[in-house]
Amino acid sequence: MTISHHPPEDLLADFAAGKLEEAHQLVVGVHVAGCARCARFVQAVEHLAGAALEDVEPAPIAPDAFARVMSAIHESPQETAAPPPASTTDPDLPPALRRYRIGKRRRVAPGLSLRPIELSGSGQARAFLLRSAPGSRMLEHTHTGTELTLVLEGSFSHEGGRFGPGDFDYGDDEVDHRPIVGEEGPCVCLVAMTGDLRMNGFLGRLIGPFVRL
Amino acid sequence: MIAAIRALEMPIRAEAALPRRVAARLSIGASKGPKAKVDWADLIGRVASDGDREAFKRLFEHFAPRIKGLMLKAGCSPDEAEEIAQNTMIAVWRKAHQFDPGTAGAPAWIFTIARNLRIDSFRRRARADRLQAGSELPDEPDQAEAVDVLISRGQDAARISSAIKQLSAEQSMVVRMSFIEERAHPEIASALGIPLGTVKSRIRLAMNRLRDILDEDA
Repeated sequence: MTISHHPPEDLLADFAAGKLEEAHQLVVGVHVAGCARCARFVQAVEHLAGAALEDVEPAPIAPDAFARVMSAIHESPQETAAPPPASTTDPDLPPALRRYRIGKRRRVAPGLSLRPIELSGSGQARAFLLRSAPGSRMLEHTHTGTELTLVLEGSFSHEGGRFGPGDFDYGDDEVDHRPIVGEEGPCVCLVAMTGDLRMNGFLGRLIGPFVRL
Repeated sequence: MIAAIRALEMPIRAEAALPRRVAARLSIGASKGPKAKVDWADLIGRVASDGDREAFKRLFEHFAPRIKGLMLKAGCSPDEAEEIAQNTMIAVWRKAHQFDPGTAGAPAWIFTIARNLRIDSFRRRARADRLQAGSELPDEPDQAEAVDVLISRGQDAARISSAIKQLSAEQSMVVRMSFIEERAHPEIASALGIPLGTVKSRIRLAMNRLRDILDEDA
């Protein structure tokens, strides 16, 4: 898998600093998990954060803090087991998403379906898997706002280039592309989208004219 | 300049907050500066292999107040910052066996634990607010770590550390202030004594430079 489109550096730094909302953290995280180059960048920002932790002015901790920490450790010295993975039978799902609960496929337009990913509900953006048929052409559409798209399978192309598995597309209102899904097979993307259809990028252009999500 | 002042301040404050026995140990090599004092990775290793409470106490005394300090700086309430600091230290004990000095320095590793706990804490709060406002939300556990564990951090600690040293002091300072301490751009401008417009371009240059250095090394 050759990745040629990466998230912008400030998005990676926000990811490393823990500032992204849930849906964005998921999409960026799945990209970084498959991209050694971005993983190095994230590691570097975490390293800077470690240096900041060393240099920060210490704040006085509660007098009983150490005792409380030791008693919590005494009660349970090992980590409690991670929650069991959600249903993983669907071959559609990349391993990276197996710990998430993923809803049923829903048809949203001809040749286009999506599966919502259940998040904790703390953020504004939603995340979902989007599957589009080979050769689909998107309609031209203008939007405001941003949308994060990660290709998991198949490909699409627009003026910004060809986006294959692992590639990350950051859509905002400054670009206006007309993406075309590759002929080699269906294109499955992991998408984070804020609000309703006031969005730009791959998905916004794809379904903008047709549906409400 | 601010960094220099902080670096001078820190060991004094830290020692004042520590029991004399630990402070005495810390002062070995203190003349080489704050970075030369204790091998944190070794202490974490002792917690992992022997459940060494003395080693853990030293980690706690050093890191808990700093985690709290960083969380306060990044906008947490004092209660929240205290809770994250305590929970981070509990996790340091429980995860000590997972720590790999080849992939990260101890402070970076501890930062990632604190960061994930802070994300979870933020999400719990946001969820609670929305539930209270009448939204129906799925009953779903928080996932900060679920995403984080997907990322394989290579055996790159030394290389990444040397890459970062190639950033200028101004560049690493501006990245740190903007992303880690989460300070607003006007605040960064006045702290560094540079025009507001320069803050944004300096951040961008620093990010690009870091990317370039890491790419060259790869």
